[in-house]
Amino acid sequence: MVLYTGKGGVGKTTTAAATAVHAARSGRSTLVASADSAHSLGDVLERRLGPEPSRLAPNLDALEVDTPSETQRHWGAVRDYLISLFRYQGIEEVVAEELALLPGAEEITTLLAVEAYAREGGYDFVVVDCAPTDSALRLLTFPEVARGALRVLLRVQRVLASVVTPLARNLVPLPLPESEVFRDAEDLLFRKLRRLRDFACDRHTSVRLVVTPERMVIDEARRAHTDLALFELGCDAVVMNRILPDAAAEEDFFRDWARVQRERLAEVKELFAPLPVLTAPLQDDEVTGLDRLAEHANRLFGTLAPDAVLCTAPRIRFEAEKGGYRVEVPLPHAESRQLEVAKIDDALVIGTGTRRRSLPLPRRIARLELSRASLRNHSLVAHFTSTPGAL
Amino acid sequence: MTGKGGVGKTSHAIATALGAAAHRHRVFLLSADPAHSLGDALGRRVGARPVAIAPGVVAREVSVLDELDRSWSEIRRWLRELLRDETDEVLAEELLVFPGLEELMALRAVREVEATGDFDVCVVDCAPTGSTLRMLRFPDALRIFMENFFDLERRSARLLRPLMERIHAAGVVPRDEFFEAIERLYADVEDVRRILMDGDRTTARLVVNPARVVVEETRRSFAYLSLYGVATDAVVVNRLLPAPATGGYLARWAERERGELDSIEASFPIPQFRAPLYPRELRGIEDLAILARDVFGDRDPAAVFTRGRPIRLHKRAGRTRLEIDLPGVSKEEIEVITRGSDLLVQVRNASRWIGLPTSLRGRPIRRARLHEGVLEVDFG
Repeated sequence: MVLYTGKGGVGKTTTAAATAVHAARSGRSTLVASADSAHSLGDVLERRLGPEPSRLAPNLDALEVDTPSETQRHWGAVRDYLISLFRYQGIEEVVAEELALLPGAEEITTLLAVEAYAREGGYDFVVVDCAPTDSALRLLTFPEVARGALRVLLRVQRVLASVVTPLARNLVPLPLPESEVFRDAEDLLFRKLRRLRDFACDRHTSVRLVVTPERMVIDEARRAHTDLALFELGCDAVVMNRILPDAAAEEDFFRDWARVQRERLAEVKELFAPLPVLTAPLQDDEVTGLDRLAEHANRLFGTLAPDAVLCTAPRIRFEAEKGGYRVEVPLPHAESRQLEVAKIDDALVIGTGTRRRSLPLPRRIARLELSRASLRNHSLVAHFTSTPGAL
Repeated sequence: MTGKGGVGKTSHAIATALGAAAHRHRVFLLSADPAHSLGDALGRRVGARPVAIAPGVVAREVSVLDELDRSWSEIRRWLRELLRDETDEVLAEELLVFPGLEELMALRAVREVEATGDFDVCVVDCAPTGSTLRMLRFPDALRIFMENFFDLERRSARLLRPLMERIHAAGVVPRDEFFEAIERLYADVEDVRRILMDGDRTTARLVVNPARVVVEETRRSFAYLSLYGVATDAVVVNRLLPAPATGGYLARWAERERGELDSIEASFPIPQFRAPLYPRELRGIEDLAILARDVFGDRDPAAVFTRGRPIRLHKRAGRTRLEIDLPGVSKEEIEVITRGSDLLVQVRNASRWIGLPTSLRGRPIRRARLHEGVLEVDFG
């Protein structure tokens, strides 16, 4: 599976659609899904798309995730409880439904829908058109964060269910949650979220960053690359769209611009190495419809297979060293002045300035103390040694 | 400043701030887009602390993690107690960073700027339209919550607490300080709502590119902003192909662009500013000051270019009429329902609960019609 993301307006949807058309025409059974709530995949493919896969051509299916109905499917009981709670207060059904939109629920359910089709649909290849970088990161890192939220919910439940509920029914003027509310939550916590996390971090899944030859767009992609690596989501390529073709670069007006673009391209190749940088020219017309998308993909991929993992991202490594252990976390583009590193209980907490992750440590290392950490060769290297005075 | 992703909001927010400073205003430039790019556009670091970036301009990027450290201690304490066994600080923090919280923090930051009294103008570089609309919708949701549940939750907590203490589980019931924190938050958000909906003080500026998908989305945003009570006073058309570029390779592009300009003219009956596509990237104070001059010329970008209140109440001969500007919307796309003290207006997939004044609460709608881009609701 390949997920495309990048700053707004860089051409994510076109790239995702072109990748899918190309793969389908080379004989791979392919699904392209839009996970961006401002769907424009249908516009690019020139077809009206629904929440179920529809067949566009041999080997090619497409869909746009219908988040509200997916949310109902996965969060049914939790939502119904909230709605009953609100309605109990004399709130109208419509308002209650609005209020019961759980924070983060949309992100999870969008991903669950894509995962279900990817797993059950029997496709060789799945392409996902994600939302702009920030929302996409939230989407991809959410399974891990949500597990925490649900742990809280379950803790409350243990207390409520054992002692409080029977007593409190008479005391508290609120409907109390029935056990199926927690059953839904537990199901999400222990089964679905774990599956999502595995799915997003699978070695056959990769993220491709879409950019244009502009400084601001590249800066944002660098930050996204760091944060994706922090959550162990591997990137396998950078796609650079809107490069002035030679024909235009010779015109007076474009000459300097073309020169700056060449510099940016060289810079991106260097910054993101060893990721391959695929390039597509600025088109003088809009790229829509299967044939034009196929042409576009040909220029983009050349002889590369669109469904191959184009570059394998390094993994987090735990290694024994003299006097203790070393943990290496790949963090491309990270700068040491923005990095926060601490050991809190059994986890190594790493902050990049935009996102923080609490990385669980193997028991053997969790017993030790963090002695020093440094940034080396695009990786955070943290050294753990035994505490003075410990056994 | 708002608009679809990638249209050039940040560059124009900075240009507007620099232009206003050139007219001797004291300017605060605030980035409310969680994917901050002020720093990228300026080629220097801008953080959560206000920093002077040019004479007369102070800038800041709202950071959720920093705001939590600063002002959410009570709520965090509750979560920490809840997680006592797990003692996972980071988790407690992550839990609070739910979608919507970022928008909320941005709203509070606007109020803080006003509270200092040190600034004449605040330019807000907003997130793309979708998130901005979510931000504008937050005060209504919070109001409904406060009016309907807040006291009840607090009463329940008071009832439950002694019970929970007996079974050593008091940590799951929030303390009074928690409720006080929420009350303060509500008061802040109400203040911001008053600032945002006052057309004399706050206006939205839409940045648009002459491309079909962008114009379509911006047309919808224009109506939604109005529905949320925010007046749009001007539209900035960014990245117009300049004359020397229209003859060669991009000739077809230029032709399409002319069509889009006509459509922008027809869709936005408000003043229009234009910025060309530059044959290089604009970055840093000097470049963006040039952009400000190209866009505004001698005009003061801090002026209100269209004065209007998108939501108005008229009383005539004992009858009350509520008017809402909904440009570019057709009759079939609107639904109006009253529910006790609120009026629900749905426009396509956006909806808003408008709190009605006491005199109108519970009164039936006699008639609702769309007349020349204005929704008129007559109460019986």
